[in-house]
Amino acid sequence: MDFMKSMAVAASGLRTQAGRMRVIAENIANADSTAKSAGTDPYRRKIATFRSEIDRALDANVVGLGKVRTDPADFRSKYEPGHPAADANGYVKYPNVNSLVEMTDMREAQRSYEANLNVIGATRRMIQRTLDLLKA
Amino acid sequence: MPISDLPILSMLRTRMQWHQERQRLLAENVANADTASFRPRDLTPLHFGPAAAAQAGGPVTLATTQPTHIATANGSQFADRRGGYDVRPTGNAVNLEDEMLKVAANQMDFQAATSLYSRSMGLFRTALGKR
Repeated sequence: MDFMKSMAVAASGLRTQAGRMRVIAENIANADSTAKSAGTDPYRRKIATFRSEIDRALDANVVGLGKVRTDPADFRSKYEPGHPAADANGYVKYPNVNSLVEMTDMREAQRSYEANLNVIGATRRMIQRTLDLLKA
Repeated sequence: MPISDLPILSMLRTRMQWHQERQRLLAENVANADTASFRPRDLTPLHFGPAAAAQAGGPVTLATTQPTHIATANGSQFADRRGGYDVRPTGNAVNLEDEMLKVAANQMDFQAATSLYSRSMGLFRTALGKR
């Protein structure tokens, strides 16, 4: 039934946005994860990518989580001479995570998630209408 | 002749299938709202050809009874916004608000079709007599 396909496509959207949410949560949780010692890199921000893929069984363009890439941007550095990961000049490299960017990303993921839920709700009501034909 | 081959019922069935297919495309658009270089798709409007128009007595037009009336081209609606896509830097052109409106409209039109279908069935029931 075609309505089930609509539901499956919207469900793939839900799954992907949830995966994106996981990557964002990782970034926020690791916003202050410095390296253990000087000379090594701290946590590097991750970026979720999406790709549209054709589901042969479904005959529809579902969405999936692509490769999770890392952000090549520079690390933040703070002057903390007492830190175990401080270099010779007393600077510590902090992750290149900007919490403002992560929050914006999170709202976008939330919005897309709600949109997919909306599609599922609309499809469900359409199925209900079809079943109501039997009752009339 | 089976009852589902009656013109009105077969037209309603075609319409419901069209809405079903459209719902799938709209679901794809919403699911891919963040996919890079994805362009939204939609179905062409459903037309039943000249036969249906003749059956319905042609389109309803506005009468111009005064010379000062604005002449409308056979009662056509005001043109919808047909400007191309708003493409984001990633190459994605899905407008989530537009898609939500389309999903809601699709659902309402489907509901109208199913209501008409059950009303037509009620008509037969009336013709057949009570119970």
